[in-house]
Amino acid sequence: MKINRKILGGVAVLSAATLVLAACTSDPEGEETSESPTAEATTGSAAGPNDDTILISVGEDEWAGYNNMTPDTYSTYNSVVNDRVRETFTYFDEESAIQINEEFGNVELISEDPMVVEYTIAEDAVWSDGTPITYDDALLTWAAQKFADGENEDGTPVQLFNHVGGLDYGERVPAGPQGEPGGKTFTVEYTNPFPDYLLTTVIDLPAHVAAEQSGVSLEDMAAAIAAEDIEALRPVAEFWNTGWLSPVPGELPDPSIALSSGPYTYGSWEAGQSITLVPNENWWGTPPATGNLTFRFAAADTHVQALQNGDLNVIEPQATVDTLSQLEAIGDAVTVGTYDTLIWEHLDINFKEGAALAESQELREAFAMCVPRQLIVDNLIAPMNPEAGIMNAREVFPFQENYEEIVSASYDGRYDEVDIEGAAAKIAEAGVTEPVQVRIGYNTPNPRRTDIVALIKDSCDQAGFEIVDNGNADFFGVDLTAGDFDVALYAWSGSGQIASGQNIYASDGAQNVTGYVNEDVDAAWDALTSTLDPEVQKEQTIIIEGLLWDTLFGIPLFAHPGVAAWDSTIQGVVPTPSQSGIVWNAEEWVR
Amino acid sequence: MTRYILRRLAISFGVLFVGSFLLYIMVINSGDPLEDLRQSTASNRDVLIQGRIDTMGLDLPWYQRYWDWLTGVAGCFTGNCDLGTDQTGTDVLSMLEQAATATLRLVTIATFAAIIIGIIVGILTAIRQYSGFDYAVTFLTFLFFSLPVFWAAVLLKEYGAIRFNDWIADPQISVLQAFIVGAVLAFILQAVMGGSMRRRLFTAGATGAFSVIALLYFTYVGWWRSPALGPVIVILVSLAFAVGLVALFAGLGKRRVLYATLTTVGVGSVLYFALAPLLEEPNWWLLLGLLVSAVVVGLVVGYFWGGYSRGQAMAMSAITAVFMAGMTFADHLVYAWHGFLELKPRPISTIGASTPNFQGDFWETTLDWGTQLILPTILLTLISVATYSRYTRSSMLETMNQDYVRTARSKGLSERTVITKHAFRNALIPITTIIALDFAALIGGAVITETVFGWNGMGAMFREGLDHVDPNPVMAFFLVTGTAAVVMNLVADLAYASLDPRIRR
Repeated sequence: MKINRKILGGVAVLSAATLVLAACTSDPEGEETSESPTAEATTGSAAGPNDDTILISVGEDEWAGYNNMTPDTYSTYNSVVNDRVRETFTYFDEESAIQINEEFGNVELISEDPMVVEYTIAEDAVWSDGTPITYDDALLTWAAQKFADGENEDGTPVQLFNHVGGLDYGERVPAGPQGEPGGKTFTVEYTNPFPDYLLTTVIDLPAHVAAEQSGVSLEDMAAAIAAEDIEALRPVAEFWNTGWLSPVPGELPDPSIALSSGPYTYGSWEAGQSITLVPNENWWGTPPATGNLTFRFAAADTHVQALQNGDLNVIEPQATVDTLSQLEAIGDAVTVGTYDTLIWEHLDINFKEGAALAESQELREAFAMCVPRQLIVDNLIAPMNPEAGIMNAREVFPFQENYEEIVSASYDGRYDEVDIEGAAAKIAEAGVTEPVQVRIGYNTPNPRRTDIVALIKDSCDQAGFEIVDNGNADFFGVDLTAGDFDVALYAWSGSGQIASGQNIYASDGAQNVTGYVNEDVDAAWDALTSTLDPEVQKEQTIIIEGLLWDTLFGIPLFAHPGVAAWDSTIQGVVPTPSQSGIVWNAEEWVR
Repeated sequence: MTRYILRRLAISFGVLFVGSFLLYIMVINSGDPLEDLRQSTASNRDVLIQGRIDTMGLDLPWYQRYWDWLTGVAGCFTGNCDLGTDQTGTDVLSMLEQAATATLRLVTIATFAAIIIGIIVGILTAIRQYSGFDYAVTFLTFLFFSLPVFWAAVLLKEYGAIRFNDWIADPQISVLQAFIVGAVLAFILQAVMGGSMRRRLFTAGATGAFSVIALLYFTYVGWWRSPALGPVIVILVSLAFAVGLVALFAGLGKRRVLYATLTTVGVGSVLYFALAPLLEEPNWWLLLGLLVSAVVVGLVVGYFWGGYSRGQAMAMSAITAVFMAGMTFADHLVYAWHGFLELKPRPISTIGASTPNFQGDFWETTLDWGTQLILPTILLTLISVATYSRYTRSSMLETMNQDYVRTARSKGLSERTVITKHAFRNALIPITTIIALDFAALIGGAVITETVFGWNGMGAMFREGLDHVDPNPVMAFFLVTGTAAVVMNLVADLAYASLDPRIRR
């Protein structure tokens, strides 16, 4: 053990030396190591944006490209970023109501019959390369939704431009926007009244870039659009479809083609990590308060700890009871906001032949009586949003101002409380003696829906139903379209449109999967979609809601809760139920 | 041999082909790629659905989709690879490049750390079989091996990131805390060192006292926020390393080897000062060049000192040179810590591969990478250290019971020589196989670790592809991991043959 002792001695001496010497610290005063630039200032105007960075994450999905108007790139992950870069005439406010963006311009309904809308672009509105935003941009936006290039085998038109809106806008406005080339004012004339006209995006992408990049002049492009010359427009469409996309992650598009018409423009993009927006120097409106907005691509379940550690400053995590308690445990450093989203859960009754509840109104009523809606909300939703209640309408949400008025006029609260005896009586009235088997279909895995079905089973089996949990991973792909269910449990995500419900509740609606047929409902929808008068729209909504309750199209349950949380030092964060997400007013955030 | 390799490759190719076919069929049947759109009430829903059908080719029969993918892959042999696009139209080949880079960055350090730590721990536990230390390590490795990654990651983030960042803002260590840390370290070290009660007490006492004094002293002088090593520490530690290395693997009796390593440290010390201005703002190529020249210097010094033990002297000098280069690198990094804290007041992040828009000099950027890497690396290392240490332990124990080891002992060789020269080398043979296969598996990424730490690597690509029922990213993942598995299998076989002469026959 001689050698060991020697080594031990060496170790001891060395340790002592280390201890003494390691105590010499890097002298902060001496050589200035911290001189290197801190997050290089992206300078704005003097009163404009500060140098601060606010870190946001909406999920792990990568930003997909400048042109988010193609079906592939049209996603909320993409639009949360692009909406900061390209503003337009309207936006959704914190109650998901549509508002006119006065900095961008004005929208005015100048005639109801024929329906003509006048748009005025702000005088000083320019793209970030300095080119004014004009009628030409509106013309291209329309053209991209107008032209078909031949037909498919099944007779549907093939779009020339791969626009996510299809040819809808082109059909509603056959003549296109009318105005002067280079002008700031134009009008749009609809053939039929269109209540959702404010939602129409009339300017999306810069026309002069599309013209330049496809090698035609703006005049020629306008002439080709006027002449409906498909061949002449083909290069423009080619550029529109591919030139504004970013198929290689991490390579930002050339700043000379990816122009900004909003407070921010693209700063940097690190593939798989983050994209940063910096102020647009040619933005004519109120300058954004914060200099850098960074969207990090991180999975939702990492958000809470990242917020606590300052790796993220504003988050909208998955709304679960656990998330909420974790957030509240952090304390005052973080502000938590809960709200109702535009996604709402509902039970739809199948009216197709052979379905258990299709033939008998009594059985449907019995089912509605035994569904424990209040219990479902109390057990599954209230822990996240104590103010949540059951939802008694389909076309309006509890947080919207006309909800009370519409519900009180269309529904008397008859299914608010569980009535087992009443349900049993209704079943008897229907002349059924055996327990009625009702298969509730939904997509799995979805623990909350499994819990809902279990609660319904507990309650309805007492009344004489036999509820069968028919959850299936292929529910949307197979069961729902094939009509293989008695009751379907799923959610619609509202889009803020006035007329979108027609697709679901009208007898020939594309999304009417339950085979529901009611002429009165159809008539009310026709009346609603053909008027521009909000009062008439409200009257018709009341009629529709009333009829849907009476005939029991289905039973609305609740609006999905949403949770947002942000660093308490940031001012101006306001959660919104709309699809624009928490970042809807990001340009106002400031620390 | 060539025929064997070619036959192996041909069979592997067939396996890959069949595997890709099965996987493709399974992926496209694993769910409904349009599910998210079916619940939408948007008026343009049909266009969205049609768009996705066109992009993903959902209207084509399955064999045509697979054929399209296969022909795209076949293009790789002629230089124009086409792995298709994912459902948002992003090019999968560029996704793959980015994902593979992130994954390699994430797993390389963890793998090497796990191998080195695992083997050392394995040998130590084998030497101290059935001691308290052995039991403790066995317990811990099984504990780490069975850790649920999600849960461990949350704990690591809470203590390693959030609490640490709170602490580093004003680093204070109380006397009680210092004593607790000291006691724990003392206990561990005496268990490793073993020996008689007196020796154990001495080890524990020395370690404990040193740790307590060091912790308190460092706190007192503010070392945690502005640390430094300095030339003396770099040289002293390198000297200790050189002596230790020689003592362990050659024996201090081999003076020429000892002098060779000491000379290397001497040359290194001169270079430490000479290169200081160059290292103010280096780049990775420069550092790589310096590392290579360090090896060359070591080899040269070893060559001239070597004499009869030339080979050993060259190897040990080279290793010493690399170690010293590493120390110098660490010295600069540690020195940059103060400036780094100014740029990033909360140094350890819970997500991401780098801080967005971080702008510092070379050392600060490297520190940023390091602080982003540290938590996932710890997690991955903890999990895989278990395998390596267990395999090394059992393999080492088996070798130690061999007749030739007993013969070596009986002819009077020192225990050091028996372990390092006779037992250790042979014990390494089975471990080589495991290491090769493990590398293949790691290239596939650590799916959960990547997700919980917000690294978008191979695992994330695979998982997202499956979530969206989007075959192209999944198949790209398969191509890389499948090929890696096949190649590494081959490499393992070849390495085995070259390590163990008996197998070649």
